[in-house]
Amino acid sequence: MDTVLSGAAIAVYVTLLVFVALRARAAREFEDFSVAKRELPLALIFGSIAADYIGPGFSIGFVGRGFKSGFLFLAVGLAYAVQNIFVGLLVAPKLRQLKDCYTLGDAIGQKYDRKCQILAGVISVALCTSFSAVMISAGSVVLDDIFGLPRWLSVSVIAVVTASYTTFGGLRASVITDAFHFVLFALLLPVTLLYALLFHFQGGAASFSQQAFAATADGFSSTPTIQIIGFVAAFLLGETLIPPYANLALASKTTKVSRNGFILAGIFSTLWFAVMIAIGIVARTVVAGDTKQDYVLLSFVGSVMPHAGYSLLLVALVSIVLSSLDSLLNAGAVVFTQDIIRRFSKLPDALALKAGRYSTIIIAGVAAAAAVFVPSVIEGLLACYSIWAPAILPALIFGLWLKAPRPLAGILSMCTGTLVAVTFQFVLPTLVNVPAIIPALGSALLAYLFGHCLGKTNSGT
Amino acid sequence: MKVLILVLVVIAALTVIASGVWVAVALIHAICPPRQSPPARGSSPDAQEPSDDRSGA
Repeated sequence: MDTVLSGAAIAVYVTLLVFVALRARAAREFEDFSVAKRELPLALIFGSIAADYIGPGFSIGFVGRGFKSGFLFLAVGLAYAVQNIFVGLLVAPKLRQLKDCYTLGDAIGQKYDRKCQILAGVISVALCTSFSAVMISAGSVVLDDIFGLPRWLSVSVIAVVTASYTTFGGLRASVITDAFHFVLFALLLPVTLLYALLFHFQGGAASFSQQAFAATADGFSSTPTIQIIGFVAAFLLGETLIPPYANLALASKTTKVSRNGFILAGIFSTLWFAVMIAIGIVARTVVAGDTKQDYVLLSFVGSVMPHAGYSLLLVALVSIVLSSLDSLLNAGAVVFTQDIIRRFSKLPDALALKAGRYSTIIIAGVAAAAAVFVPSVIEGLLACYSIWAPAILPALIFGLWLKAPRPLAGILSMCTGTLVAVTFQFVLPTLVNVPAIIPALGSALLAYLFGHCLGKTNSGT
Repeated sequence: MKVLILVLVVIAALTVIASGVWVAVALIHAICPPRQSPPARGSSPDAQEPSDDRSGA
């Protein structure tokens, strides 16, 4: 009976996903494929941003952190909310105001020059592919848990399913399916928490606060201050305006929608973290204390929910992965077409659309091949975060706010940020005892200042 | 204080659920848009109000 219910839950999910993806309809122009004709309303922008950032790290990872460190990570997570609110107030509306802008590279190209746009495009495509590899790897772990498939097969299933609807529907299909996935996990996971609190948690409010204080005290005593600073830096800057978010800022119906979408998503992140951490705290009374952090959520739900509920949760976890992956594939494809291919040849719209579709398939293929070599989801994500912020953010933010940004500053900042981040992250990770993002960001800012003092404005070159 | 923590957690969970319902309604509108009634006699599409700042489009 349980197996039938589980099978039915998964069948309903797949049927609904196919229905939603088909209703999103195929993109017919490059503007449709890349920015959904800039017609997306607030609720879909908000749902899509939230669905993109709630990946395995912000669900499975946060439950594990709540289990071990209580509300410590709620304080760290506040940095993420602050980041989104600042992006909403200061950056997203400015991006949305730019004319004929499809990507961050376009924005950088308009403010600096063509070389800066191509460099930003290359960095963005590399990062989108790396992020996609991490997401495919995370999804394959969940599929392994459900069906016991071999790794190569689960990786292929995740990559093919996501690439298929993203290739044809472009951003609109990605946003529509993101909204569907958001609805699933925004309903299922809080309901799991309330169900556990009502039917499985002994001791009421006193016991909950006792567990919360004990876990939080453990968290503060076992986490070095420098590590907390590193987490705050990664949450504050690591994911700021990565290409999928930038595309959503550009695809908003109005500048107001663009601003409010990010502000609401920032506020929502705090509520989401609170719910995930609370699940972790409740799990302390249900799950064995030596359970690995990444397995707390699965063990907890397996213990407290009926079997069909467990299957539904696994479905929610797959949907969490797919919703992050589809946006990354679409963003990578749009960036590759707009910032790289179109800088070298004048493609008409129909050919650009075709190039975008082929790029989606190629990026999915490369990411799937790389996914097999991803050591751990969290390590992979932190590596991507460490490179993105120093590589792009100084050039982007100064470019949007300075009256006459200098191309030399943009080039120097992007090259220095990338090289220092890669060096401290991969080549010499033990050289300094701080997360790579901090020295890399400092170097990128210095390089920008140097280039700004020495360089000429775009019109002067 | 003890009760307050749990109450805040429950409010957070309910707000997340409410957000899910809000996005679900928008999703249904996006994939199954309501049929538009034919324009009333005498009115023309030109008479409709323009949307706000759609710069960049």
